Amino acid sequence: MTDRPNNLCEDQFFSDFYLKHVQKASNFAYYKCGDNAKALDLVQDAFSKIWEHCAKIEFSKAKTYLFTSINNMFLNTIKHNKVVMDYAKAAPYIDRDNQSPEYLLEEEEFKTKLQQAIALLTDGQREVFLLNRIDGKKYREIAELLGISQKAVEKRMSGALKTLKQHIKNI
Amino acid sequence: MKKENDILKWFDDQLTKPELDALKQSEDFKTLEKIKHYSSQMEAPKVDAQQALNAFKQRPLTKTEPKVISLHFKTFFKVAAMLIVMLGISYFAFFNNTKNFETTVAQTQTFKLPDNSEVILNAQSSLSYNSKTWDDKRDLTLDGEAFFKVEKGQKFTVNTSAGLVQVLGTQFNVKERDNYFEVVCFEGLVSVTHNNKTIKLSKGKGFKVVNDNIELIDNTKATSPSWLKAESTFTNISLQQVIAEVQRQYDVTINSDAIDTTQLFTGTFTHSNLNTALQAITIPLKLSYKINNTTVTLYKYEGQ
Repeated sequence: MTDRPNNLCEDQFFSDFYLKHVQKASNFAYYKCGDNAKALDLVQDAFSKIWEHCAKIEFSKAKTYLFTSINNMFLNTIKHNKVVMDYAKAAPYIDRDNQSPEYLLEEEEFKTKLQQAIALLTDGQREVFLLNRIDGKKYREIAELLGISQKAVEKRMSGALKTLKQHIKNI
Repeated sequence: MKKENDILKWFDDQLTKPELDALKQSEDFKTLEKIKHYSSQMEAPKVDAQQALNAFKQRPLTKTEPKVISLHFKTFFKVAAMLIVMLGISYFAFFNNTKNFETTVAQTQTFKLPDNSEVILNAQSSLSYNSKTWDDKRDLTLDGEAFFKVEKGQKFTVNTSAGLVQVLGTQFNVKERDNYFEVVCFEGLVSVTHNNKTIKLSKGKGFKVVNDNIELIDNTKATSPSWLKAESTFTNISLQQVIAEVQRQYDVTINSDAIDTTQLFTGTFTHSNLNTALQAITIPLKLSYKINNTTVTLYKYEGQ
């Protein structure tokens, strides 16, 4: 360990850190609040905080600090936006071999319903569900990220699945 | 419950193959499978990283510079030394409760003690006491000669190297010089302890030890020692002691090699005029003197 001042305070270093994590941080913020502009604001605010305290933050803990900041900052904002998630362009259907138009239509309908259903989830359910599904995070990891217990994560996930199932089936 | 748990485990990729096969039999399985599959294809809005960074740099940002505190040893030791000195000084100034009174050659000084008792110090004498414990015990140490006017109160003790003098409230004189210890009580009652023997002195009585010879003085007509009146009085005191007192009251050195200093002297000399004082001593003893700056030489008078 050298006694040099923390790397994060060096311009180039910080910029590299920023570029590396900005998308993931933005995703995280977006899962939470569902508003693109707000998500970016949260992200910029979090990076500002890191820059401000660059001397005190150990580089290995910087990423955690980033997400924790976003998490905490979000808790202080008013939440009212519905999240409308979008799908990746080249997303395959479950049955890759099935090319029948009926099947394709059915799947697209499902996808639309799913999209709408996700907008109905609570903030807590949504962020857990999306972190699990899109980011591929395990419940244990999500628990750590959000600062809650794994049991709480599982409960939210359970609730999310129930809501999604109900909504999709009813329509 | 098991089914719900399994579903959760399935989404967490924790389900074993047999458990998954079992789950496939449930009615919700198809829907859940679709949810699981399509939700994982969802994306959050893409961020133009570089653009975001540029926008970030436009923000008014401050960073707190790390404080580099290097230990400068030289300064460290200078400060440490200063602190020690300051502590030392403050200790003596504030924590040391010993009070000292002192007189130099030819100086007679009156001091007041915390209980309003008065002490008059004769020349070249010193007195000390602990101001903190004075209220409980009036204890002081004397080296030299002092006249005490003690207020009524707790036991008043004067410690000298030759002996202990204790009173309750009175006026007395304590004289402790080389080979000379004398206590005279002018009023009240005084107890003197010398060599483990204690004697009580009432008004007009005195106790004297010269060269280890103990003598009791009786019926002193004086109401206070003569030196308070700027005079020194002696009754059958060896010349040696008289000369010593002259040297205390005047800034002179007396050379007495040519004479016999064991002879006894009775008389008084003044503190205000050296010549008069020397004459008062030398004439009765048929001696003469010569003054050279601050040295007085005594010699036998060869005249008629």
